[in-house]
Amino acid sequence: MSTEHPPRPTDAELEILTVLWSRGPATVRDVHETIGSRRPTQYTTVLKQMQVMAEKGLVRRDENQRAHIYEAARPREWTQRQLAGDMLTRAFNGSAKSLMIGALSSRKASKQELAELRTLLEEYERKTR
Amino acid sequence: MSVLEMWAQSAPAKALGATLLHSLWEGAAVALALAMALSVVRCSRVRYAAACLAMLVVLAGFGVTFYRLMPRHTSGATIVRILPLVSPSLDGVPVGTRTWEVADLLPWLAPLWMAGVLLFQLRCLASWMAATRLRRIGVCGAPDAWRKRLDALRVRLRMTRPVTLLESCFAEVPAVIGHMRPVILMPVGLLAGLPAGQVEAILLHELAHIRRGDYLINLMQTVVEGLLFYHPAIWWISTVIRAERENCCDDLVVATTVDAHEYATALAALATNRWTMRDTALAATGGDLVKRIRRLLAQPEGPRSAMAPMLSAGILIVTCGVALAAWQSPRQSAPAIAPTIPVAPSPPVKAAAPPVPMASPKTAEQPKTTDWKSQAEALEQLHETLSKAEGKRGYSTLVAQDNRSALPAPYPYQKWLDEVSYIITAEERNAFRSLRTDEDRDLFIRQFWLHRDPTAPRGAAPEEYPTILRGNPENAYKKEFYRRMTYVNDRFGANTVPGWKTDRGRIYIQYGPPDEIDAHPNGGKYDRPPEEGGGQTTTYPFEQWRYSVIKGIGTNIILEFVDPTMSGEYRMTRDPSEKDALLYVPKAGPTFFRLLQGSPPGIVEINAERKMAVTIPIAFDASQYLITTSTVSADGKTNLGNSQTLASSCKTTPAEAGCLKDNLRTMGKTPLPPGSYTFTAVVKDTSSSTQKTYVVNFTIN
Repeated sequence: MSTEHPPRPTDAELEILTVLWSRGPATVRDVHETIGSRRPTQYTTVLKQMQVMAEKGLVRRDENQRAHIYEAARPREWTQRQLAGDMLTRAFNGSAKSLMIGALSSRKASKQELAELRTLLEEYERKTR
Repeated sequence: MSVLEMWAQSAPAKALGATLLHSLWEGAAVALALAMALSVVRCSRVRYAAACLAMLVVLAGFGVTFYRLMPRHTSGATIVRILPLVSPSLDGVPVGTRTWEVADLLPWLAPLWMAGVLLFQLRCLASWMAATRLRRIGVCGAPDAWRKRLDALRVRLRMTRPVTLLESCFAEVPAVIGHMRPVILMPVGLLAGLPAGQVEAILLHELAHIRRGDYLINLMQTVVEGLLFYHPAIWWISTVIRAERENCCDDLVVATTVDAHEYATALAALATNRWTMRDTALAATGGDLVKRIRRLLAQPEGPRSAMAPMLSAGILIVTCGVALAAWQSPRQSAPAIAPTIPVAPSPPVKAAAPPVPMASPKTAEQPKTTDWKSQAEALEQLHETLSKAEGKRGYSTLVAQDNRSALPAPYPYQKWLDEVSYIITAEERNAFRSLRTDEDRDLFIRQFWLHRDPTAPRGAAPEEYPTILRGNPENAYKKEFYRRMTYVNDRFGANTVPGWKTDRGRIYIQYGPPDEIDAHPNGGKYDRPPEEGGGQTTTYPFEQWRYSVIKGIGTNIILEFVDPTMSGEYRMTRDPSEKDALLYVPKAGPTFFRLLQGSPPGIVEINAERKMAVTIPIAFDASQYLITTSTVSADGKTNLGNSQTLASSCKTTPAEAGCLKDNLRTMGKTPLPPGSYTFTAVVKDTSSSTQKTYVVNFTIN
């Protein structure tokens, strides 16, 4: 593993990284299965890509077992910050928020709100018990 | 004038501007109604529906208002609204007494609004593209186990549409993207990081969004926000919709057997998760998540904020005030600009047109535009002079007016004001009088000529002003004016009256040299043409000037000047018999009757409502004449109807309207479309069966 920062991952590399973040350390076969569940991919393509990523320092390879186990070299948060460092990317992804709907609003909760939530839930638990 | 400026002055732009103002109060009223409804209704679904309806109502109100304010195209006539003279503001010298009004801003609202809409819709497009990209980049399929759980939940909610579950390294919170092929994005690691029950609750929430078609509704909502972006009420309504949408989904989740506490904990965990994930900017305190969780746990709410109704009431009051003010000012200023007069398809450079034309029929191709004001004023002035009083009365009143308000101005300026009295507008005159220093007056005079300079650069840059203000020695208008001035002073002056103050001088200065002059300086024997009664008579010295066209007044105009006092001061007449020295001498007067032929000025008048009034001076006292009139357009399509009058009936009731006393006068009832018309009067002697036809051709531009 190189001590320098790995370069920004490409879109295809990002997909493999996402699988590794989601599943934890995995073999090439595991990664190929996950990706292949959404679109047809060659096993060798994935293998080649992951070898390149290992060279770039994006992933770490554990060669102790017969089937090499790959692991993301950096945590997700680090890569996210690296990607979001680009103003354009940040603006672009930020602009999607107005159209995304989900359990939480696009607005972040403040520390005070979070504290209030915790006390609310705790009170409720105490009462119901 | 730039294209944008022209567009801003167009009818749709003005209608749009007015619509924008109207939508302010409309939206505020709707928001107020919504606020009142929300204060009563508790059920989330009803509140959500009410808010959506409110938004639709505001949008529909906008459309309907625009449709109603948009002028309908009724006739082929080009109606050009002439703007009041606006001076190119030169160092704050007030030429017109024109002040800024809200109404001036009105047309500019439309371009501003359009720019805003463009911006917001572009932003919406970018959001859409970014959202589509989010479902492609940095995602991977969720583990099989979770996909199966999702399918089970889908069945529980009785949903048939397939839903894809993805993990994304970009999503900060669970989100739904897409309507036709919806995708649930889970932040990577969330599926494994939260207890299964909580993940299930969150998935249920997202599924609820998909079932309700919220993604599409949200997209449309964003588009509407972009259209009505200027309205605070819309943003408030939008916030309500978003909040109630989540509440609806929360209700659905809780109703689908999930424990409320578990769900609330999941939401809190999500918020915390996001909190720790990034260290970027914080939002302000106070928010909807706390409210939602209180609501889920059925906790009593904190003191209800009266903010929303107060806010919308405030908006309502303010916007009503603004809208009223804006609406009042166009109404008030309407009389100043309202008389929309048909103008020939002339270039829309009204503001640059000389306020009063100094028409020069011989150089008609010179680019001069007609101004309704000049039309009306010229007609009025001509009419005044032509009125049945002695020739001079019209003018003397004008001079008298001048003297009445004569100012203690130094001599040269009063002289200048007198000189230009035929071409200066009332506004300019007042503005000039209000000036206090000679410096200002000089500046005013230079600007006065500059306004009328056909070759002056329009819209000159401020740094060019000094050059312009020095005056253009080649100002064709000014040169021509002073040439005419010199000419009339040389030729038409009488004992005490300078040439420019005589009737001939005045006409000459205003309309230029006539195309033809028929001068009878010694009077003498004169064969009356049949339409003047026939026979022979002796006349005072007189002159007939023929203009083939006077812009805004008519074609083939013959003006007659008579010098009944033999002093050399000719006076304009309206009745050819005025030159007839023997008119009132028995046996030497007209043998038959006289009608003016041609279209003398003031005889055919078109008023501001495009209605026609025809006056034919006649002088006869016989009672047995039957007069039939008709007015037909050149192409024969428009017939304004015929009328018959027996002159004798007027003998008994001379006061009756339309009766023949001094003249034959008919007044049109309907506005005339532009075109050429022929007015025909047939006068029939019922005793001798002889008849005569008189024709007046006139054109409405």
